[in-house]
Amino acid sequence: MLVVIGILIKILVVVGITQGAVAYMILLERKVAAYSQDRIGPNRCGSNLVLPGGFRLNLPFGLLQPIADGAKMILKEDVIPSYVEKPLYILAPAISIIAAMIGFAVIPFGPVGTQAPSGVNFQIAPGVDIGIVYVFAIGSLAVYGVILGGWASNNKYSFLGGLRSSAQLISYEIPLGMSILGMVLLAGSLDLNTIVNYQDGHGLWLTRWLGLPAWGVFVQPIGCLLFIISAFAETNRLPFDLPEAEQELVGGYHTEYSAMKFGMFFLGEYLHVITVSYLTVILFFGGWDAPFLNQIQSDWFSGLLKALVLLVKVGLMVFFMMWVRWTIPRFRYDQLMDLAWKALIPIALVNLVATAAIVELLRSSH
Amino acid sequence: MATPTITRPEWSTVIDPVLQKELEQHVLVTNWDKLLGMVDTVYNWGRRSSLWPLGFGLACCAIEMICTASSRFDIARFGAEVFRGSPRQADVMIVSGTVTKTMMPMIARLYDQMPEPKYVISMGACATGGGPFKEGYNVVSGIDKYLPVDVYIPGCPPTPQALLNGLIMLQKKIDGEKLDIPLLGKHGNTPWYRTELDRDIPVPVLGPDLIDLRTVEIAAEKTAQGLLDAREATLTHPPKIAAPQRESATPEPAEPAKPAAKGAKKVKRAEARPSIVWLGNEGLSALAERLNAKFGAETATIIQAGLLIPADKLLVVARYLRDENSIRYDYLASLQSVHYEDCIEVNYQLDSSSKPGSLIELRVRTAEAEGEGEVPSVVGIWRGADFQEREVYDMMGVRFTGHPELARILMWDGFAYYPLRKDYLEPYYEGPSKVFDSRVEEGFGRHFRAEEVNPYGTNMKIPRDFKDWAKLDAAEDTKGLGLLPSGVNVSELDTDQFIISMGPQHPSTHGVFRMNLRVDGETIIGLKPVMGYMHRNHEKIGERNTFLMNFPFTDRLDYLTSMGNNFGYALAVEQLMGDDAKPPERAEFIRVIMAELTRVASHMWSIGFLLNDIGAFFTPALYAIEERELILDLFEWASGSRMMCNYYRFGGVAFDLPPGWLERARGIVNDRLDGKIDELDRYLSGNEIVLDRCKGIGVLTAEQALAFSTAGPVLRASGVPYDIRRVAPYSIYSHFTFDVIKGSAGDVYDRYYVRLLEMRESVKILKQALADIPEGPILPGKKSYQIKVPAGEAYSRVENPKGELGYYVVADGGPTAYRYHVRSPSFINLTALEQMCLGHTIADVVGILGSLDIVLGEVDR
Repeated sequence: MLVVIGILIKILVVVGITQGAVAYMILLERKVAAYSQDRIGPNRCGSNLVLPGGFRLNLPFGLLQPIADGAKMILKEDVIPSYVEKPLYILAPAISIIAAMIGFAVIPFGPVGTQAPSGVNFQIAPGVDIGIVYVFAIGSLAVYGVILGGWASNNKYSFLGGLRSSAQLISYEIPLGMSILGMVLLAGSLDLNTIVNYQDGHGLWLTRWLGLPAWGVFVQPIGCLLFIISAFAETNRLPFDLPEAEQELVGGYHTEYSAMKFGMFFLGEYLHVITVSYLTVILFFGGWDAPFLNQIQSDWFSGLLKALVLLVKVGLMVFFMMWVRWTIPRFRYDQLMDLAWKALIPIALVNLVATAAIVELLRSSH
Repeated sequence: MATPTITRPEWSTVIDPVLQKELEQHVLVTNWDKLLGMVDTVYNWGRRSSLWPLGFGLACCAIEMICTASSRFDIARFGAEVFRGSPRQADVMIVSGTVTKTMMPMIARLYDQMPEPKYVISMGACATGGGPFKEGYNVVSGIDKYLPVDVYIPGCPPTPQALLNGLIMLQKKIDGEKLDIPLLGKHGNTPWYRTELDRDIPVPVLGPDLIDLRTVEIAAEKTAQGLLDAREATLTHPPKIAAPQRESATPEPAEPAKPAAKGAKKVKRAEARPSIVWLGNEGLSALAERLNAKFGAETATIIQAGLLIPADKLLVVARYLRDENSIRYDYLASLQSVHYEDCIEVNYQLDSSSKPGSLIELRVRTAEAEGEGEVPSVVGIWRGADFQEREVYDMMGVRFTGHPELARILMWDGFAYYPLRKDYLEPYYEGPSKVFDSRVEEGFGRHFRAEEVNPYGTNMKIPRDFKDWAKLDAAEDTKGLGLLPSGVNVSELDTDQFIISMGPQHPSTHGVFRMNLRVDGETIIGLKPVMGYMHRNHEKIGERNTFLMNFPFTDRLDYLTSMGNNFGYALAVEQLMGDDAKPPERAEFIRVIMAELTRVASHMWSIGFLLNDIGAFFTPALYAIEERELILDLFEWASGSRMMCNYYRFGGVAFDLPPGWLERARGIVNDRLDGKIDELDRYLSGNEIVLDRCKGIGVLTAEQALAFSTAGPVLRASGVPYDIRRVAPYSIYSHFTFDVIKGSAGDVYDRYYVRLLEMRESVKILKQALADIPEGPILPGKKSYQIKVPAGEAYSRVENPKGELGYYVVADGGPTAYRYHVRSPSFINLTALEQMCLGHTIADVVGILGSLDIVLGEVDR
């Protein structure tokens, strides 16, 4: 019973925090956009606010902007055009956001397993051996939100957006899945905790010789690169934001969505960014590993510290994704496909085979 | 559920006012009304802080709207930078620019598609009341004729600061809104929650004119009464003059249809020459003799330095000129028509790529009566004639036999008139030339609006015999559906094709341009441009304006390059005025400096937005705009306006440069521009994605580019070094050393790169001009508001940033131009669009269009 309550509390906390985080990620995105474009960005909302009772609130950086946006979105008229396929039209944003949220079930937000402080577990569903597989399985569901939204809208731009995303997401699932296999082989487990522990450990002789930690980015540089590229495509972010390509398809799959239904697509996208960032950090950037922390520490303080380290790394990853978005142009649809099938997948295959061979060699030399 | 009755405690205690204040400050004293009022506060605060504008721009004001989002003004501070392409996600519609009749149904539809609560900001004079274009036949006299407007912003165009102020005003308005919650007995002023209220705007119909379905009965009644005809009978019609004849036969036709006051005076005639740089009289007579010898006598008659060709011989002569003549006339520079008393003349300005600068003019005359004129189409010889012939058909009613798809281009099929004919009077017509009486009615405070003169009370004119009122249907797309691209069957796979209408409201059509695309998957297999959504009757208004009054209107053609537009128009009239209007040297320097600064600003904009089109989300564009802002500051300092400079005058410029201007200009040109161009070059030219997206896309070979009459960077990127500054030098360009940049591949990348290099050349010219500019007068004589322009015909050409900008002016010795035509590079460059896009994908179309760098003010005029 206590476990169930604990899990429920965890779910509530995680959902609450991620929703809030997503809202503020949108503000962060707008600020990143502004600074990369030599602008200021939102700074009025929340400043000079007169509350009832004469209290004045003066928050900097437009800190209340996400709340204002949310309030507006919820109170906006929810238009359901007469020509849409109504059940699917309503279902699509729900799928999109649900798929993005249940992926969090196995994401560790801090040290888990042997490194976790006793009695607490930074994971909603701890001990799932196939953590990564689950995340990918759920992540691929999100594409249904986009495809159904695009199709049900009965709008040509939406339709094209849906078509693009179905092809794009399916194509990029392959290099995404294959790019992590190298890491899985090295660590010998699909369990995220084991993978982090591996990165905390000794690594290969090359990284040891270079004095680098055994992070995925150093022992599996190609896999890491492939994963990050595919992750951009999976989350529909520039340079791969073809399903919504504003300059071409107006809004892509969400052209016909208004109010909170549109907001749900928006939230889903950012949730997806968070998931992917967590995965990237856990798989390739050492997870909660930091130079001043080690595996043996499993007290409360270091547990929280490790969670914080993980959070900072994830924040940097999210920032990186935003930075890229406001910097480079978009690929064309066929170039995107070429990239996946003619470059990423062959490289991923070679990488996989090579890694397998190295792992086998290492094992036989022991 | 029954409505709950709520009993509220009455507050009757008298409280000491000081205590009351104290209490209000430190204790939350509330009652039911106040509590409900807090709902308003939160509700309003959410909306006021998150006003997402609909990302659509109509005209010049849209440029200022974009500048408002740029780093200098940054509308993002108010949380309003999220321009949504889809109306479903927008909160506020900024009607930025002239609302035309062709566009009005689209705007109404967009408004209806926006979710409540929605707001409308009317930005600029045009959106508010028609502005300078109000008397145009295709202009709606203010968006509030159809949509409820919340905030009006004056200005033409309003500066970004003004738009920000408008946004703040809208926020204030939102602050005062009170929610309707009938369930709780709360009454407010928010109509959108009252389900009984239909807030949708009926979409107006493009019938014989734009017809508002809410008042269709009244319109029908007034049409049947024939009030408009009665009114027109009382007005002075514009005079028609006879077409010029061979000089030896009839020495000077005796101006028959002139008003009595002017008829007595002998009209001074300008020197007969088609343009300043042309083949010359000897060459022309030799050519006429050759033509007469080959195709029989009377094939070519020299009239006013142009060759009059009988319509039935036009095609053979044209083919001879293109393929066999010693100078190959392979470039149709311009094509326009004039409505004379006895004929409609279509004339063709031809130039040669092998011997550029040997311009000649062909004239073809056809029946004057409405709908009877017929001229063979030269599309088979010069592809570039395509849109221009359609324009003549649209405006004058001349049919071009053999044209593949002769349909209206600027107006819509079903429009009842041919508006550039001299016998067509606009709905608000008052007199043949400005200033109209209504604006100088004796006594102060007495004025009447144009709406009051028109029997319909609005800018409408419907032929008396129109009867099909019942057939008017808002769902019908008369403007665009006439031209659906036919498909090519691609039988590799058994796929379905479908048609996408891209535009007129689309994030990357650079205004209200529309393309009907036929796609197979994402591959374009057919494309038809649809334009005219911003046709604001520039040429018709130009016939009412006195010569001087037309300057500000030229500003609004290509609103990114107002100085360059002024330049061309000044040259055209100066060509007629001859030595009376020879600019002093300082004025020439100032003109060149302004024109080159304009080129840099325009190319900056163009490169930035090309990158935006291929997906780099506004970042390069905003950096490019920063430089443009510095240049606009210089313009504002010298002329008084950022965008609409209205700075050139016949024979000079309006004002001398203010003290300190040259130093600042030198500072910007010498110290800043080079570095900025390098920066663009460094970050963009070698970018992998830019290369992937631009190389080999939208290829136009040199032959095609010439045949399609493309101009400017588009033509030069295809490897034809044709720059008007070199081939037909005007002003003092021959004094400066600069290179004519040309590309080789003719793809999107080359067009981008040619622009980049051209900016360097402009900076080179600017450095020379700023170093050498002499002191002296800026006008040949005194500043004057009365300008005598001798009768005659002129065609001036300038190399504007977008390409060859030509002004064709026919003067009859009166105060206004008899015919005024603009050869607009953006419009003619679009002829090649379909050719460039076929076989590419939707994403490429956006990039190709961006590389053409069109401005809708100039495309539609």
